[in-house]
Amino acid sequence: MADEKPDVGTLVDEAAKAIGLPIAPQYRANVIVNYERSMLIAKPLLEVELDDELTSAPVFRP
Amino acid sequence: MTDPLSKQATATDIARAVMAGKVKASAVIEATLARIEASEPTVNAFTDVLAGRARKRAAEIDAGVHRGPLAGVPFAVKNLFDIKSLPTRAGSKINVDGPKAGRDASLIRKLEAAGAILVGGLNMGEYAYDFTGENAHYGPSRNPHDPTRMTGGSSGGSGAAVAAGEVPLSLGSDTNGSIRVPSSLCGLFGLKPTYGRLSRAGSFPFVDAFDHLGPLARSVEDLALSFDAMQGWDPDDPVCTDRPADPTVPFLNEGIGGLRIAVAGDYFAKGGEPEAFEAVATVAKALNATRTVVIPQAGVARAAAYIITAIEGGQLHLPRLRTRPQDFDPDTRERLMAGALLPGSWYVKAQRFRRHYRAAVQKLFGEVDIILAPATPCTAPKLGQVMMKLGGVELAVRANLGLFTQPISFIGLPVVAVPLRTPGGMPIGVQVIANHYNEAAALRVARHLEKQGVVSAPAA
Repeated sequence: MADEKPDVGTLVDEAAKAIGLPIAPQYRANVIVNYERSMLIAKPLLEVELDDELTSAPVFRP
Repeated sequence: MTDPLSKQATATDIARAVMAGKVKASAVIEATLARIEASEPTVNAFTDVLAGRARKRAAEIDAGVHRGPLAGVPFAVKNLFDIKSLPTRAGSKINVDGPKAGRDASLIRKLEAAGAILVGGLNMGEYAYDFTGENAHYGPSRNPHDPTRMTGGSSGGSGAAVAAGEVPLSLGSDTNGSIRVPSSLCGLFGLKPTYGRLSRAGSFPFVDAFDHLGPLARSVEDLALSFDAMQGWDPDDPVCTDRPADPTVPFLNEGIGGLRIAVAGDYFAKGGEPEAFEAVATVAKALNATRTVVIPQAGVARAAAYIITAIEGGQLHLPRLRTRPQDFDPDTRERLMAGALLPGSWYVKAQRFRRHYRAAVQKLFGEVDIILAPATPCTAPKLGQVMMKLGGVELAVRANLGLFTQPISFIGLPVVAVPLRTPGGMPIGVQVIANHYNEAAALRVARHLEKQGVVSAPAA
């Protein structure tokens, strides 16, 4: 279900393992707080619908 | 004319006096170094003072070796600019252990080629991930108008040094508001040029997609003079435009005739304290700007800017987060860690939205030339303050000081922040926003307001 809230603690732990980022226990709670804040702030962006044809505008020039 | 040796002297005052032979560059530098020594215990703007280098350069100028429109003008740079023979701190402790810069950043070289004299490196929020000017390693930069208050960041030292009258000109960087926020809280003129207009070569990056460099000063003419001296293509920065330079000084006093000026409504008219909107109203009245326009989806733009910043910042610092997490400022560490873990699909969507939003705002600039918006939602918070009330809602200071700047830098529009005084005495800024590559229009408007006495930036 799209509305189902993820367990952010588990998400942070597993994502950190996947990219090889050790997170010491004393930092973990605040990483979770910041992840949750990002989820909240990202919401309006994630709700926007964009046309398939709309690509990003990279600066890279071969 | 203001005494070129006084703290109120602008870069223009100094350069004119030096060129006319009325004052020696060496005397300007001695007065500058004395002011820095006197003010630093209060404002903590500098992390490195380059007395020897500055004196040598001043002697060369007095001997006629270097001339130019900024002859003898002392300036200082946010310490993410490379300064030859120094490590590029970027507000961090970690970078001090890194290599020393082999040469000065591109913009330092351009300003010195115009006759200016670098006197030091300036304090900043760690790795520029900051709106407060606080720093756990070097202490906070303090607001010269009230040292118990924040300068704003991340170019906090760049704001404090100019507002205290230590130097007339500084350089900062602005990814989401880091020139405009300290300009607002410290009562200065600040220019965030068009994305790609000025070379970023030789500066420590934060978010490649949004990183801009630009000047802070106490007069509009100083912004224009320094901006013109720094323009031009640079192959060392792949984002730097190859468009010809567009000089702004010749048009500075042309007034506002022919410019269609509007106030940003909707997103930019709520979520701040009354003084932020009163400042915009004061500026609008002085410009006879009666029209209101809506920058569409500005809230989504802010969200997208936040996500791109978090992910690019987290990715950039991942190697250091793995090996030296204990050496980060606690206020940046966990934000960077969280950013490194966010989904890649969010990043790509934010970048795609950026192009969509750019097109919509470009359309708006078919109808108007200048848009006015608050620079910050409030005046300077107290040092150490974590939460603040905006429009009756309790919000985090750190995440929200850039509420009104983020949707603008997100698509690289040029902005001049202009300073007003609130009834309470503390400064607050208004963003004068122009279309891409039209810095000249924003500077003309700022100069018009300055001439009318609506905006001003006296040293504290």
